[in-house]
Amino acid sequence: MPVYQLGHVDNLRICVVMVGLPARGKSLIAQKIVRYLSWLSISTKCFSVGSYRRKESAQPPAQFFDPSNEDGLHIRGQAFEEAITDMLAWFNNSNGTVGILDASNTTRERRERVLKIMRENKIEPMFLESFCENDEMVRSNILDVNATSPDYKGLPSDVAINDMYEKIKYYERSYEPMELSNDSDLTFIKLVNVNSEIIINRIESYMESRIAYYVMNLHIRPRYIWLSRHGESQYNLEGKIGGDADLSERGFKYAQKLPDLVKQYIKDHEKLTVWTSTLKRTKQTAQYLTYPKKSWKALDELDAGSCDGLTYEEIAERFPEDFKARDDNKFEYRYRGGESYRDVIIRLEPIIMELENQENILIITHQAVLRCIYAYFMNVPQEESPWMSIPLHTLIRLEPRAYETLVTRIKADIPAVSTYKEKGTSKLGESSNPSKSMVGEVIATSSSADKK
Amino acid sequence: MSSEEIQPPTIPGNYSARKQNRWKSEDEDSVVSPSSSPPQHRKIAELSKDIDGIHTSITKFHVSPAQLYSTDSGRLFHAGSICICICGEPARGKTNLSISLCRYLRWLGVKSDLFHIGDYRRAKLGDITEDFFSPVPETIEAANLRREITDECIKDMIGFFKDGGQVAIYDAVNALSKERLELASTLNSNDIKVLFIESLVTNPKLLARNILDAAKSPDYANWGAKEAVEDYKKRVELVKPWYEEMNEPLLTYIKFINFGERLIIRNSRNEFLTSKILFFLMNSKIKSGSIYFARCSNNKLKFKADPPLDAKGKDYATKMGKTLLDHIAKTKGEQWYRNTQPQEIGSDLRQPAYGVDGSHENSLIVWTSTRQRTTQAAQMLKDLGIVVRHRSELTQLNPGDAEGLSESELAAKFPDEYEQHQRDPYHHRYPRAESYHDLAVKFEPLLYEIERMSGDILIIADETVIRVFYGYLMASSCDDIPSLEFPQDEIVKITYNAYANKAQRIKIDGVNPN
Repeated sequence: MPVYQLGHVDNLRICVVMVGLPARGKSLIAQKIVRYLSWLSISTKCFSVGSYRRKESAQPPAQFFDPSNEDGLHIRGQAFEEAITDMLAWFNNSNGTVGILDASNTTRERRERVLKIMRENKIEPMFLESFCENDEMVRSNILDVNATSPDYKGLPSDVAINDMYEKIKYYERSYEPMELSNDSDLTFIKLVNVNSEIIINRIESYMESRIAYYVMNLHIRPRYIWLSRHGESQYNLEGKIGGDADLSERGFKYAQKLPDLVKQYIKDHEKLTVWTSTLKRTKQTAQYLTYPKKSWKALDELDAGSCDGLTYEEIAERFPEDFKARDDNKFEYRYRGGESYRDVIIRLEPIIMELENQENILIITHQAVLRCIYAYFMNVPQEESPWMSIPLHTLIRLEPRAYETLVTRIKADIPAVSTYKEKGTSKLGESSNPSKSMVGEVIATSSSADKK
Repeated sequence: MSSEEIQPPTIPGNYSARKQNRWKSEDEDSVVSPSSSPPQHRKIAELSKDIDGIHTSITKFHVSPAQLYSTDSGRLFHAGSICICICGEPARGKTNLSISLCRYLRWLGVKSDLFHIGDYRRAKLGDITEDFFSPVPETIEAANLRREITDECIKDMIGFFKDGGQVAIYDAVNALSKERLELASTLNSNDIKVLFIESLVTNPKLLARNILDAAKSPDYANWGAKEAVEDYKKRVELVKPWYEEMNEPLLTYIKFINFGERLIIRNSRNEFLTSKILFFLMNSKIKSGSIYFARCSNNKLKFKADPPLDAKGKDYATKMGKTLLDHIAKTKGEQWYRNTQPQEIGSDLRQPAYGVDGSHENSLIVWTSTRQRTTQAAQMLKDLGIVVRHRSELTQLNPGDAEGLSESELAAKFPDEYEQHQRDPYHHRYPRAESYHDLAVKFEPLLYEIERMSGDILIIADETVIRVFYGYLMASSCDDIPSLEFPQDEIVKITYNAYANKAQRIKIDGVNPN
């Protein structure tokens, strides 16, 4: 058995080991942790035993998970080994920091095995159990899994639901939840009935506490997040960046139309809360909405420092080096006396945390800020996120799901200038590259709904 | 609320311009014009006092060192008013916990204040009998006095919220379930949410140590050590039979067990501030050690330059190291640092993060930046077997384009920037530079690591770095941090203390202050 010199353990490598029955939101939590830590530039990867198993058995019936089904056991055991092997290789070859083992790990025997393998490889396991006895909650998770999991793709929903319940029954037979009496030496977090009780045991490093903190804020109930840029502003018309300008005439039209869009498309709009920045253009955009409003300084536009109030042409002329430096590395570039995208992410972190904690939020903010929020929900890589095109006069709906976030764009059908600037030019205009634009369904609304 | 109305902008511009507008005092003009002269509120005379600011009340316009954002009301998180009620038997580290929590929340920018029932009780000194400390006093006088003192404290808390405070930390035993329910209902009816944090200790060793600590509290100012411990033990015994562990289904509470080894949260309403507090609790330990700060020897080097130490620097490093070791030997005994050798640990045990750093009370860990002038300054200590860690975060503040320029050159080269810098040296960055605020945000994870350690730590870094750490430990305001002074011929020692951290300056003989 290898023995470590503790002086050599400079940074802890962590394996988050998910624990819980099927349909307890494990995959959603695992995906969320990957998204959050990657967004903060921490190297994180999820290894889902299910996806290794699907290589051998793509859509197995519930009986496959019967503990007495030897074929099933064999295939599942193999999938587990493959996932572990790949994870260890990733830790060693790609300098991984946080690996997530997404599997049910419902028996103590299995958890002890993971513990042993990880410790032998100088990786500290941290168990994360989602425990739920609330039937309604489980049912809603089943619906979500059925709608999105590759295991149920193409199956009629009633068949899928029954199959899932049966599968859970097989797992319940051998389920040994984590307990303070037996597992008090382990580092673990136990979430009971959607965070109504949380047990946090032996958190011993900052990274672990960070993960625990994030998980405590998570909502695993299905919900939507609504986003919109402010309406077109005077500065947008003039091609200027930053500032605190009023809306243009067309921008006001968007503000007038927004209440109808909200009523039409946001089902629970009575419970809506609107978040804006502290700048005039977002507050004016929200002015006809009658819901509670909160304005956040953290939602203010990226601060362009010395370039605030200039057009891109003027910046290229007055600060040619800066103009080029920004195009070369837009994520890290910090405007003179202003901010970089990385700076914006740091100040947005509390907003993301609170957003994870809330439901029914419509955020009306700015282009750069929306790029960062969109990148978080959509896993857009750092180098690409500052180049995303987020159109004006469009209500954006995000629907975080277990396996992906779904996006729908509702276009208000009010024309606006483009504020998109492609790399290497100072001219504005939408990108010809489709990878720069948002994904998802587009809903066009008719202009007849316009108020005059 | 004003944020819901659309108002003409009071100042033009963006995020940082508005940030600057935030801590103007009430009587200043509401409009900042770039040409107005810098404010004269610098309190340099007070800086040398080395007093922990944690017990100083803060104003509505206070801006905290790591404050990332605030709302128009000056409050954070839109969380409303929250009373954090720390409860638990005597000797469970309640006062310590409430003070470190307050330090953290203020650093984050939450307007927080402390309400120790002990302070109110001490104000009535003379009337206090032993009976008073029983949750169910036998005499009517003692019972009335308890009630009176509690009412007064609660009244002050409600007043604090009315003045724009956001989090009141109420430090009292609250032994009976009935008392806790009553407190919650009184505060709830004033639109104040209540979060209970119950400190439980199941480890007898921890408890014994805490009793020793508590016997040093202001209650025992003029007592002999032994008598104080005996008396305090009596107080502990007096409460013990009455104490009812929290289990109220209608209250939101955190059980804080063995100072963070385990946390259990029940009936959480999923509130943001609650989880932020939990985050802090996960990282906080009962602190026993000291934090020493020493500057590196040459402060006039270019930011990008990284030469090895010259003869003068080596001489400084030797003298600094020796002064520190002599000081520790005097206070802790000659052999203390022998305990810091790395231990071997089998794979059947949990691996501590960052080695064994700070897991032992009698240990000394040295942190330096990755610059040679700091790593080499630690060499002598490293040769003695003391653990030295190089942390890239500890690199000095990047001066950007302001590098090497004197005040007058700055004023001539960047007149507008200079103007802004004078107005707000804490948040302002010169072109390509970092601000102190940037450093504070970058150091947050390091602060958690420090909070976890129980031994001593020496940080060898540039003055700019020391200012920010000092600012956290001594609850300095951001107006003061950029002008704090740490001469080269002094080691600054900050000792954690339950009531207020203590700063002390240790002279290094034979070294030039600059």
